[in-house]
Amino acid sequence: MIGRALAFGFAGLLAGCAPADDRPEIVVQRFFGECGAAYGESTDVAAADTECGILTTLINRFEAENPDIRVKVNVVAWPGYPQLAAQIAAGDPPDLVTMHQSVISDYAGAGLIEPVEPLLAAARIDPAAFTPAARAGVEKEGRLYAMPWDTIGRLWHINTALMAEAGLMRGGKPVLPNSPEELLAHARQFRERTSKPYLIQAQVSAPDFHVALLYTYLLAQDAVIFPDARHIRLDTPQARAIVTVLRQLNAEGLTTLNQDFPAATAAFIQGEGGIFPVGTWMLGPYDAEAARSNSPLHGNYAVAPFPRLWGEEASFVDGHAWIVPAARRSPAERAAMARFLGFLAKYNYDWSRTGQLPAFAQVVESPAFRALPHRADIAALARTGKQLPGYVERQSAVQGLIGEELEAAITGAKPVDTALKDAERRVNRLYAQMM
Amino acid sequence: MKGARLHPLVVMALLLGAGVMLAPMVWTLLLSFKSNAALMADSGAAFSGPYTLENYAAILKGSLTLQWLANSLIVATGATVGVLVLSSLAGYGFARLEFPFRRTLFVIVLLGLAVPEQAVILPRHQLFAMLGLHNSYPGLILPSLTGSFGVFFMTQYFRAIPKELDEAALLDGASRFTLFWKVLLPLTFPAQATLGVFTFLAAWNDYWWPLISATTSDRFTLTVGLASAQMNYAQTSGLGFLMAQAVFASIPILVVYIAFQKQIVRAMAGTAVR
Repeated sequence: MIGRALAFGFAGLLAGCAPADDRPEIVVQRFFGECGAAYGESTDVAAADTECGILTTLINRFEAENPDIRVKVNVVAWPGYPQLAAQIAAGDPPDLVTMHQSVISDYAGAGLIEPVEPLLAAARIDPAAFTPAARAGVEKEGRLYAMPWDTIGRLWHINTALMAEAGLMRGGKPVLPNSPEELLAHARQFRERTSKPYLIQAQVSAPDFHVALLYTYLLAQDAVIFPDARHIRLDTPQARAIVTVLRQLNAEGLTTLNQDFPAATAAFIQGEGGIFPVGTWMLGPYDAEAARSNSPLHGNYAVAPFPRLWGEEASFVDGHAWIVPAARRSPAERAAMARFLGFLAKYNYDWSRTGQLPAFAQVVESPAFRALPHRADIAALARTGKQLPGYVERQSAVQGLIGEELEAAITGAKPVDTALKDAERRVNRLYAQMM
Repeated sequence: MKGARLHPLVVMALLLGAGVMLAPMVWTLLLSFKSNAALMADSGAAFSGPYTLENYAAILKGSLTLQWLANSLIVATGATVGVLVLSSLAGYGFARLEFPFRRTLFVIVLLGLAVPEQAVILPRHQLFAMLGLHNSYPGLILPSLTGSFGVFFMTQYFRAIPKELDEAALLDGASRFTLFWKVLLPLTFPAQATLGVFTFLAAWNDYWWPLISATTSDRFTLTVGLASAQMNYAQTSGLGFLMAQAVFASIPILVVYIAFQKQIVRAMAGTAVR
């Protein structure tokens, strides 16, 4: 017994005397879920799939290729901002964090994150290499506050079999409308010939769904939605025209009603409607569904950016980015962070296999990217994608308020004019309450 | 009432009520045994085979799931033991001992019942940051110990015990501590069990404080850890996994409920304090 205790104590002593690990440590914090079961040991990036799988594999590979750097990974519950705020408040933030580009203003405005130009320079990443949409998402008042990682946009996911039945295919491509009048005409023709709704829409518990449509078509007309950092302008003829058309689609039964996002997703897969306007992130799952022989979507899937209905071609976009919370760090830690960013930039193509658009123009133009399913059809988003001005803050709360009012207008619970006035008033009041 | 037969209409109403209560749980269970891909196309697929254990396998293969489970057990057990010890001592003190400002202090404790956690979470977070308690077990356990309910609950229970017992024990030469430890404390076991079960359940299910205090993966509790494992559109493309997580996280709670069913029912019926 005494011998065992001595051995145990000796082992503990030896452990205590182990050489200190003096490698620089970087703490990488990300969302996208945990998939250690499938990818915990994987370093084969090309073989990885899904956002979680590709990012997990990328980090594993970075660790394998850079044994002189210690990487600590925090996987946080989506979207991770409560934890990040808590970490910053506690004075213990991570080093590199995934963040939506639409949220960057909130943190940059409060001085909680650092401009990243020095890190990009150390990683030999030229900001000119970013696509216009990606760069706009991370640039605030002339400074770059993150390395953009992709561009997320809304697309029209299309059931080509139903479009053919409706007489809306030409040369193997779906015929998309070019004006609001044409949109209604196509939708009526579609319903007449297929007895199904033209659009599938998530109109329940999805406040950002209609906001994305409204922003897209306002931005397409160069409308100034946010004249300054504390005001929104929604009570305008342009906004009224857009919301009136959306209301008309509902009133005439040209769209699915009372569906949340999962129900709308299932409805599209089951072929219950023609077009589902939802994000780039569903490209992969729908393409996989279209490849399944017993799926109603089999061989009948196409995708396109939002069609031009008003103004010029444009699409409201967001994106993922890597930000750096403000903190004191040693030169060795900063060098390690730069190496990590450089590594991620090198693998931007692999990330684009998730369905999101690459943040680097060279990748968007590359044959490898264009050869991925449907990517050539949506690559224009990198050019036409528009972000809100860099001074616009609290987008999550703002979109929630606008979404509520749009839902009331589109379902007929409120007149369009009243809903837009109410949305404007509520958002402005929110901004007025901000310090 | 014992042995009385219920009217068939009452039985039917009870069965209907039970069915309504059980339906979401059965629905959750069925969804958890279906593949994510099948549910993305049609959540009604839960009512027909084939069923699979792949979602549960994915949870168990997750690199940190067992660590999160252990963290939750440590935190919930620590909180329960701490609350029982502190509440019993404080309850005895307030119910039986005379000391300066006893009434005032008890009123302050009662006021604590009226202060919602949201009102104190920011200063508490700052305080714990200054003390370096975040990402630690004490950091997760200590906030549970400050709840006023346990003190109030045990005080009321001690007050309901006849004072003659104290007098008899003191006449027999028992010290104050012996009186507390050997005479009164055993009489409070029903209340302790009730308080213990509620504290354990609250600590196990807590999400908010662990979310902002335990910010490194290896310190997550099960609730936070399972949430972190979800992908962005879990309710669409990961529904089976999401439901399996819900079932997995509730298993320990189910065990606690089965083990302490009598105390929970009695507490719900408001009969624990007599």
